[in-house]
Amino acid sequence: MRAFVRILFLACACVSANLFADHIHGSDPVSRVEDVTVHIFADVAENLQYYTDNPGALQALVRTDLMPLLDVDYAARLVLGRAGRGIEQAKIDEFASGMSNLLINRYSKGLLYFSSEVKLRVLPQRGDSNEKMTRVRTRVQLPKGGEAPVDYIFHKTPEGWKAFDVIVEGISYVTTYRNQIMPDVEANGIDSVIARLNSGQLELNE
Amino acid sequence: MLKRRSLISFILLCLLLTGCSGTQSRNTDPENDPWEGFNRKVYAFNDGLDKVVRPVAVGYDKIMPDPFQRGVGNFFRNLDAPVTFLNQILQGKFKQSGTTLGRFLLNSTFGLLGFFDVATGEGLYYYNEDLGQTLATWGYEDSRYLMLPFFGPSTFRDGAGRLADSYVHPVGRAIHGRNEWGLWIFRGIDQRARYLDQDAELEQAYDPYVLMRDVWLQNRQYQIYDGDPPIADYDLYLEDYPEEQPEPDL
Repeated sequence: MRAFVRILFLACACVSANLFADHIHGSDPVSRVEDVTVHIFADVAENLQYYTDNPGALQALVRTDLMPLLDVDYAARLVLGRAGRGIEQAKIDEFASGMSNLLINRYSKGLLYFSSEVKLRVLPQRGDSNEKMTRVRTRVQLPKGGEAPVDYIFHKTPEGWKAFDVIVEGISYVTTYRNQIMPDVEANGIDSVIARLNSGQLELNE
Repeated sequence: MLKRRSLISFILLCLLLTGCSGTQSRNTDPENDPWEGFNRKVYAFNDGLDKVVRPVAVGYDKIMPDPFQRGVGNFFRNLDAPVTFLNQILQGKFKQSGTTLGRFLLNSTFGLLGFFDVATGEGLYYYNEDLGQTLATWGYEDSRYLMLPFFGPSTFRDGAGRLADSYVHPVGRAIHGRNEWGLWIFRGIDQRARYLDQDAELEQAYDPYVLMRDVWLQNRQYQIYDGDPPIADYDLYLEDYPEEQPEPDL
């Protein structure tokens, strides 16, 4: 049966590309994403029961591993857009930390949801990067079948490459949050939005 | 035959309604969504419909084990193959259309009517094309956002493409030819069940209508560019007001 399938496959003259990354380890964005995600995923798969019982420990793990990779301040400024003009830095920091808490909680929940079945592969770099910005493309296997494409947008900062946007199936977190939060800030003010963000975070913590 | 006519008159009715909706005051995205007033009304209608559909989807999701749902997903994905195949040819993607044909043959036979996706394991990857995407690659890139009753988010271009595709798609053909709606309803429930996880997020959103539009339009762009759309111009996000763009004709 398998041989027949192979022949049929060849008869259809279909070529498949080997999508697996063939990269050199280092400080480039591709390796950074791979190192961090492989580490987190392996840790969660190994200690699934522990992390299910102690969501706080999982959030700490995600925070330690993921945060150095993220440019939270830049992401917050992009999300606030014109609504961020004239708002003091302390408020923006507060907003940024609320946003990153939300992201960490979501990510942690997602890890538990995908549990040990989760498999991830990082695709090789494509031409759409430059010295300032690049996109790292990954694929996450879903428990209900199929794969979710998850891309990270990196830009170069004085502390090296940092990600500021996550794009799932073409849907950008920054763009989507921006279109929700910008009008909210303009209508109700930054304090109300920070409060909302923090209360939502509490809800997700349950 | 009667059904076909009623479907067309239904679409025409929608278009007529859109023609009358130019007086709405609130407009959150004049560039992509000049018909926002009408679209919000259809969104509310669909939301009401969901009060009935959602409980059914929740029950289905509870009863059906994951492997079965995966199989059903594979089954419906396999039924998309004829539409994808034709549109790959229309887009000049001949090699990929061969893959789709191979997948369809393999999964429909050894995959037991598509329930099992044996083709992916053989390196025959899944592609998804439709007439809306074909029209976009032919140069009809920007089209007005259009919320369709029952079907949900779309654009004028993609709604028209969807209607044309339904004459090729097995589920559409069952409706047009034999007036059989069973598969269509089953697919609807299965697809609704797949979005249950996102309900809470939509509910908590500042503006659920805008969230759905954002998510749909971005994902659509992603499909049109086959998973490789250009990176957004983030620098523009930091400017006071983005440049005004002319709205698309349709």
